[in-house]
Amino acid sequence: MDERSVWEKIADQLRSRSMWMLHYCTGCGAVELPPSMTSRFDMERLGMGPMATPRQADILLITGYLSVKTLRRVIYTYEKMADPKYVIGFGSCTINGGIYFDSYSTINRLDYYLPVDLYIAGCMPRPEAILNAFNTLMEMIRKGEANGWKRYKENYEWYKQNQLRSLGEVIVHDEFHE
Amino acid sequence: MTNSMNNNVAEILEKAKKLFDVRVEDIAERQHKLIAENDKTIPLLAFLKESGYSHLSILTCIDWIEEKRFELVYILFNWSNGVTLLVSTFIDRDKPVFYTVKDMWPTAEYYERDVHEFFGVEFEGNERCRLPLFLELWNDLPPLRKDFDPLKFSKEHFPDREYEKDAIHEAKIIRADLEDTRGDING
Ligand code: SF4
Repeated sequence: MDERSVWEKIADQLRSRSMWMLHYCTGCGAVELPPSMTSRFDMERLGMGPMATPRQADILLITGYLSVKTLRRVIYTYEKMADPKYVIGFGSCTINGGIYFDSYSTINRLDYYLPVDLYIAGCMPRPEAILNAFNTLMEMIRKGEANGWKRYKENYEWYKQNQLRSLGEVIVHDEFHE
Repeated sequence: MTNSMNNNVAEILEKAKKLFDVRVEDIAERQHKLIAENDKTIPLLAFLKESGYSHLSILTCIDWIEEKRFELVYILFNWSNGVTLLVSTFIDRDKPVFYTVKDMWPTAEYYERDVHEFFGVEFEGNERCRLPLFLELWNDLPPLRKDFDPLKFSKEHFPDREYEKDAIHEAKIIRADLEDTRGDING
């Protein structure tokens, strides 16, 4: 990968120590987040906490299946987040469609539409797996390997084409927005 | 209490039979199904609403593709005695049109939009029935019709992950049917 300056390396150290996550809970995997956040596993001790808005968040958690309708909103959300930003895909639904592989409304793989830094396998993944993934992600950030956001910029056309192919149009048209 | 309640239900069912000549099937102790003709369905629903079955739990649809008809099911609930009545009626599958009940139950507007979206049934009088509710920019057959093929649709629209692994080949190696010539199967 590209050479990082000393300042980048220092910044990455710091970034990996304070991560605000946006959990846009799209699927059933989200139910594993409360136990990860509360006293038993307590993910705040890793320096991670939930964040309410995309513009302040560093990590986007996609917790499970994404329907076409949700994917439009997720793409909006992702594009609103500030760089650097990281995406974690939870569960087999984001990896290969899981039990919804033949559904008319859910997509089959997330990394076709958004750059995923890390996947957590399982249906659904246990809190241990989630914490393990967060640790791995921190390690990746420190080493400068979690650069999905750069990939998204470099391959923007490819991602956009894929989004358009499956969604038709990313713009949200519904009675609440118009 | 129980007795009078049962009498009450029986009475209403009797009345419905007489007034709207419905067929009644008992599903469970507190669940009865009333099968009505098309033109009697709306008056029957109004009658039941007046008689205490005032909560429209859901309006849904069943595709009986071999009989070439849709069954519309209105599920009504009575909060004072906990009895559920299912009012069902059959409409033509090729020309699926029915009347709206949104003036009786405002929530029905959304159920009707849902049924329109997933089965293609039109509801006369519900002018918002064609607005997309869940499926944005949908341009195929309504997806819950039995002749819609979701797997084919998914394959056309949502690319799958391609795996390089040949799982069957590997299973054969594990079962020792084949000799492993490709080295470590995890590699
Ligand atoms: S992977 Fe399993 S738990 Fe996760 S969203 Fe899919 S079905 Fe639900």
